[in-house]
Amino acid sequence: MYVTSLPTVATMIGANRIIRGPAITHPFGLDADERRRIVERALELLETEVEANTVWGVAE
Amino acid sequence: MAWELATFSADLLREPEPLEGVSVEIVRPGDPVRVTHVLDAVEPRIRPDGRPAFPTEGKAGEGRTNRLDGVVVLSCLDFPGEERPLHEQESIVDLAGPGAAFTPYAQETCVVLTFEPSRNGNEDAEAAARRTTLQVAEGLAEPTLDTQPVEVECFEIGSADGSLPAVAVLIQLSDLGPLYHQYVYGTPAGQAGLPRIVDPAELLDGAVTSGEYHWAAMRNPTICFQRNALVRSLYAEHGKRLRFAGAVLMRGYEQSADDKQRAAEAAAARAQELGAEGVVITTDAGGNSHTDVMLTCRACELAGIRTTVILAEETDPESTRPILTDWVPEADAIVSTGNLEELVEEWKPERVFGGDTLLDGTAAANAGPIPVRNYLGAANQMGQLTLGARTE
Amino acid sequence: MKAVHYVNQFFAGLGGEDKAETPPTRLDGAVGPGRGLAAELGDVEIVATLACGDDYFAEHEEEAVATLLGYLEQDRPDVLVAGPAFGSGRYGYACGTLAAAAAERGIPSVAAMHPENPGVDAAGKAYVVPTAVNVAGMRDALPRLARMVSALGAGRGLGTSDEEGYLPRGFRRNYFAEKTGAERAIDLLLAKLGGETRTEVGGGLDRVEPPAAVPDLSEALVALVTEAGCVPQGNPDRLPSVRAQGWFRYDLNGEETLASARYESVHGGFDVTLANEDPNRLVPLDTARELVREGRIGRLHEAFYTTTGNGTPVVTATRFGREIAGELREAGVGAVLLSGT
Repeated sequence: MYVTSLPTVATMIGANRIIRGPAITHPFGLDADERRRIVERALELLETEVEANTVWGVAE
Repeated sequence: MAWELATFSADLLREPEPLEGVSVEIVRPGDPVRVTHVLDAVEPRIRPDGRPAFPTEGKAGEGRTNRLDGVVVLSCLDFPGEERPLHEQESIVDLAGPGAAFTPYAQETCVVLTFEPSRNGNEDAEAAARRTTLQVAEGLAEPTLDTQPVEVECFEIGSADGSLPAVAVLIQLSDLGPLYHQYVYGTPAGQAGLPRIVDPAELLDGAVTSGEYHWAAMRNPTICFQRNALVRSLYAEHGKRLRFAGAVLMRGYEQSADDKQRAAEAAAARAQELGAEGVVITTDAGGNSHTDVMLTCRACELAGIRTTVILAEETDPESTRPILTDWVPEADAIVSTGNLEELVEEWKPERVFGGDTLLDGTAAANAGPIPVRNYLGAANQMGQLTLGARTE
Repeated sequence: MKAVHYVNQFFAGLGGEDKAETPPTRLDGAVGPGRGLAAELGDVEIVATLACGDDYFAEHEEEAVATLLGYLEQDRPDVLVAGPAFGSGRYGYACGTLAAAAAERGIPSVAAMHPENPGVDAAGKAYVVPTAVNVAGMRDALPRLARMVSALGAGRGLGTSDEEGYLPRGFRRNYFAEKTGAERAIDLLLAKLGGETRTEVGGGLDRVEPPAAVPDLSEALVALVTEAGCVPQGNPDRLPSVRAQGWFRYDLNGEETLASARYESVHGGFDVTLANEDPNRLVPLDTARELVREGRIGRLHEAFYTTTGNGTPVVTATRFGREIAGELREAGVGAVLLSGT
């Protein structure tokens, strides 16, 4: 489960579960609420079967 | 809008005034000299009309500019300490020996300025060094004002056969904060309203200067813009194999995923405004600037504009496949400006300028084989040089 | 100069398919096609021929290679030559595998076989001279193979695959082209616009079989891993800001959050100001602890793993991943939150 703002790199290197984080300087966002939303999304993706590179965004 | 570039012989060169806090060395072509901690390489330029050679306002690429042929200014500075945001990376120019083939200065007279940094911190030292280097470059060209050029080139995009493909160039400039800036008319790229259409002659005429100090081989020093091979080639090909549709400056190192995507789409939009059917996309430095390039490539292709990308590889010499920093399937026509990881044969220079000790602590005069990665602009990703890589 | 020649049971004259189970053996001098090869070699003498049954090699690869390398240790040749195997898959695989193993040990090695023989991929750093698909190509193959043997034996630096006639091994090597990168870019673009897409370097997407979903996170042990260069304040183990050569594991010691007083980022590829204000922005420890308390996650692994992903060759990063994964697996970790910048 890879949280990154560079999903093209993640896809290139074969990561299968990718969460598109907001920024290079803070992949989990700035505040605790945003962080919580991103981590929860990541956990959802961990619980989801995937067949290949899957990139999910995070709702505001 | 026409622009002329007039060349003058180096015979006009006079001894420069010594600068306070800086030592000056003149290196003749072929001298067995290694220069270390190199910040930038600049070609001497001056305008007969009195406007600055490296303007911070107005529009470059008009009227006439004089260049001094066969002379390059190299600026050197060993930053005083490991101080954020700088993570210094070594930058070398060899003026003889096997490393000389990797930078284009060995055939020229090099004016090496080694700056002694003050105690005021990295940014102040750098700003003073950069300012002084550009002033020296302009000063060196002063003798050209009194005499006739050996050659005058005229840069103008006239009309051309409409059936020729329209080709534009998307030039990436870096901005990753202080000490990693490239400047557009003296403004850091991140604040210069990029992506932005410019007259290609502006690029050749001092509108872009460099103040970034990471990724020695992959970054584009100022001289790469002044002597830009891609823009020159496109001017030369205009009316022959293509129509030169123009130039877009775009920023690398956008810092958020959304900003990267937005900037990529905006660059594609600028290319569309130029009427480009195809674009050459260049890269600056390494790391996530390559992601900006790949996203821009994708955005252009999705907009129906065909792309070619120029970048350098970071392939482990033991690897049996090339290694790129980032890649998207739309990037199917890539020029490789070489593999950074290959080692250049060991060479012991007779003299070293810039600093006797490399950043990793080894003696510059006896450093063993040095990776291409450490030679200034050796794998520059605007295609200045002939270095490439192939599979064997 | 001395060479050792590897052939299979058939070319060694030991028999046909019925002798494919023959274990490795050593014969003096040149045998079979080795004699034809020897005739083409001027100053290189084939001092020994190693032979092995194709099936034996396929079924006992490790022992076969070990035994054969042992023979090479004794004979100490300047070069190993294997084949030609032409289109024979098992024979070609044996030639390629042995040549690769010998090359790893510093013995210049060259095999010969058809370009589509699976043995080509097995050859690693060894060279492969292309041949026809069957033995009718022997007369054509031997002189070309002999030239490579001589060159390797003499220690003469080899030219490109085109120049010397061997198959490209897949290594990328720098060279100075006739045209600038700029001119080449214009050529590639015009070609593409004309309908012909060419590239000087290919990208590609690595494929990794996706692991199954985590069945129940409330039972799972989850670990935090990062390439954002997050380290204890002061960077006690001196993690580099670029071109890291390794990774580090740091115990969390029950900490509830990555406090800015105790952690920082040394990554040289981005501005770490925001990260240093609150390192949880890189490694979300506080959130993870919360989720454990709430029962959403079973347990959090008591250490986090860190490196700097900046200018790290993929080959190196792959090694890091493998090593870290190994430790995580040992510890029973079922899922990882990996953060990248």
